Amino acid sequence: MNAGAAAPGRSLDPLLDHAPCGFLSFADDGTITAANATLAAMLGHAPGELEGLRIDAVLTVGARLFYQTHFFPLVRMHGHAEEVFLVLRAADGGGVPVLANVARAERGGAWANDCVFMRVTERAKFEEQLLNARRAAEAARHEVEEHAEELRVANETLEQQAVELEMAQQQLEEQAVELQAQADTLQAVNDELVARGEELERQRAAADEANRAKSGFLAVMSHELRTPLNAIAGYVQLLEMGIHGPVTDAQRGALDRIARSQNHLLRLINDVLNLARIESGRVEFLVEEVDVAGLMGEVTPMVEPQLGAKALAFAVTVPPGTAVRADREKVQQILINLLGNAIKFTPPGGRVWVEAARDGRDPSRVLLRVADSGIGIAPEKQGSVFEPFVQVDMSRTGRSEGSGLGLAISRDLARGMGGDLSLESEPGKGSVFTLTLPAVADG
Amino acid sequence: MDRDVLARNNVRVSGRGTQPMLFAHGFGCDQNMWRFVAPAFEDDYQVVLFDYVGSGRSDLGAYDAQRYATLDGYAQDVLDVVRALDLREVTLVGHSVSGMVAVLAANAEPERFERLILIGPSPRYVNDPPYVGGFERADIEGLLEMMDRNYIGWAQFLAPAIIKNPDRPELGEELTESFCSTDPVVARRFAEATFLSDNRADVPKVRVPALILQCSDDMVAPAEVGEYLHREMPGSTLRVMQATGHCPHMSHPDETIELMRAYLQPALAA
Repeated sequence: MNAGAAAPGRSLDPLLDHAPCGFLSFADDGTITAANATLAAMLGHAPGELEGLRIDAVLTVGARLFYQTHFFPLVRMHGHAEEVFLVLRAADGGGVPVLANVARAERGGAWANDCVFMRVTERAKFEEQLLNARRAAEAARHEVEEHAEELRVANETLEQQAVELEMAQQQLEEQAVELQAQADTLQAVNDELVARGEELERQRAAADEANRAKSGFLAVMSHELRTPLNAIAGYVQLLEMGIHGPVTDAQRGALDRIARSQNHLLRLINDVLNLARIESGRVEFLVEEVDVAGLMGEVTPMVEPQLGAKALAFAVTVPPGTAVRADREKVQQILINLLGNAIKFTPPGGRVWVEAARDGRDPSRVLLRVADSGIGIAPEKQGSVFEPFVQVDMSRTGRSEGSGLGLAISRDLARGMGGDLSLESEPGKGSVFTLTLPAVADG
Repeated sequence: MDRDVLARNNVRVSGRGTQPMLFAHGFGCDQNMWRFVAPAFEDDYQVVLFDYVGSGRSDLGAYDAQRYATLDGYAQDVLDVVRALDLREVTLVGHSVSGMVAVLAANAEPERFERLILIGPSPRYVNDPPYVGGFERADIEGLLEMMDRNYIGWAQFLAPAIIKNPDRPELGEELTESFCSTDPVVARRFAEATFLSDNRADVPKVRVPALILQCSDDMVAPAEVGEYLHREMPGSTLRVMQATGHCPHMSHPDETIELMRAYLQPALAA
């Protein structure tokens, strides 16, 4: 270029041409006034070739912008700058990275900007790595910031859930306290129930004891009552036999009344005694195999006089081989009682019959039905006929004979043998009493 | 609110005049760059200096990456200062990128401004044929690279090194410390907002008379750019300076003051 023109006017000490770094001086308007040979060589120029050029000429475009926006203002304001990174522009257009130190100095009435350039190829590499690392960090930070929103939202959600969980826990704790209170209440109720149960148990034991005492009393009393009644019966018989002299018809009639009254009273007392015995658990059952047909053969003659007196038809139907496990005498007693009732409550000309059969629903049982075509029992009264001291429909029967204990005793006896006694009846059509007893197992 | 703006933008008011002259610094520095020019107008004007948020001694905490992603955010800073001081008939002086910031501010609230003085302005730095901006995209990348590399070192060398000012002892320590010590991330965003901007569409909308000071050899804002602006901006005056470079107010303050006065004289006389 115009190196030849500038060279003679060089103001630089030739000694600097041998320095290991570049020297350059430029005026405020950017004109290069001096440069050493080292710098010229560094940039691929001949010595002296740089003088007269603009400073822009030795800067890459990026470095020019940086020079104008940062470097020059800095030097202008501070008078110097150290270690500024610049990329100088070589003659072939390539970049030469350097560190620049600059100081302003007044020489010959004008300001000169004196620069020293050191090549920093190696440093530039390190710096590049550093920069790349920093940019990567920056990019990572951006990414983190982008994720931060997601994290924040997630965090808020979690916090919300935590609050909800805490509330739920509080609720649970409150409920737990409530449940504990309820448990305490229940425990108290339970304690009270247990106490009441114990009290009831004591009361029941006391009632049982009282009942046994009552039954015992009745048994004793019945016995004590029967003794004078037997005496009455005995003396009536002696009088009737004329042992104390001839008996007139009127006297005989009175004696007959005394005998019947005595007999009635004795039966009453026997019933009371039986019931008391059963209730006090003092009845013993002699269980054996009882043939029902045979049993009926024994019972029938005992009721035939009464049947005949009222002209009642009588029939017995027992399948061959029907047998029960029971106390023969007790079953006989029950059947006589049931037949007595049937005859008593059936008008003259009516029918009374007995049927025996296996229970269709439970073959281990035998049903003995004593039926009549009598007056029947109103439905509302059917439930109470088995209660002691109850007599049904006294208006229809007039003054009833008997104690009213017969059915209660019969049911107790049936149950005592593992059976039962039940009733079906329709007023005006008749009644059916069903005695259930355990069947003899088929051999 | 107003006080907040004054602190936020480090606003400094001086001068004995009544008509305000507001100086807006360019990219890379702060209000201190007006040190060689602004005092010349203190006799006749109310001189107002400020730092953009993110530059100089502004409140870095007020920096909002969204707001300052484009030059509109910087124009908002100018308008905030104008409103905070309730300035009217303002002469707005903008260097470099602040030339376009001034255009944006004046277009937003033209009634506030009387004159614009644009030093080395450019509506677009990157070439867009046939438009000549002076740079290719890769050149801008080169600048950003240079900034990155120097900010690595500046943190170390700025603080202790610039306390001494052998040739400018009048500069206070406080001022030198802040000079050019902008935050690297903020500076990079400012650089991108500046050099990747395209404000050509805003130029024809200018309604405030403007003086364009074009340096004779400015590689940042080439002569073609000055001519383009003068052609496209209604009521503009173009003065090509003898000064070279991009910072005539620092390298050639006398000529800068001279041309500004010459342009403003009629206004002063009126």
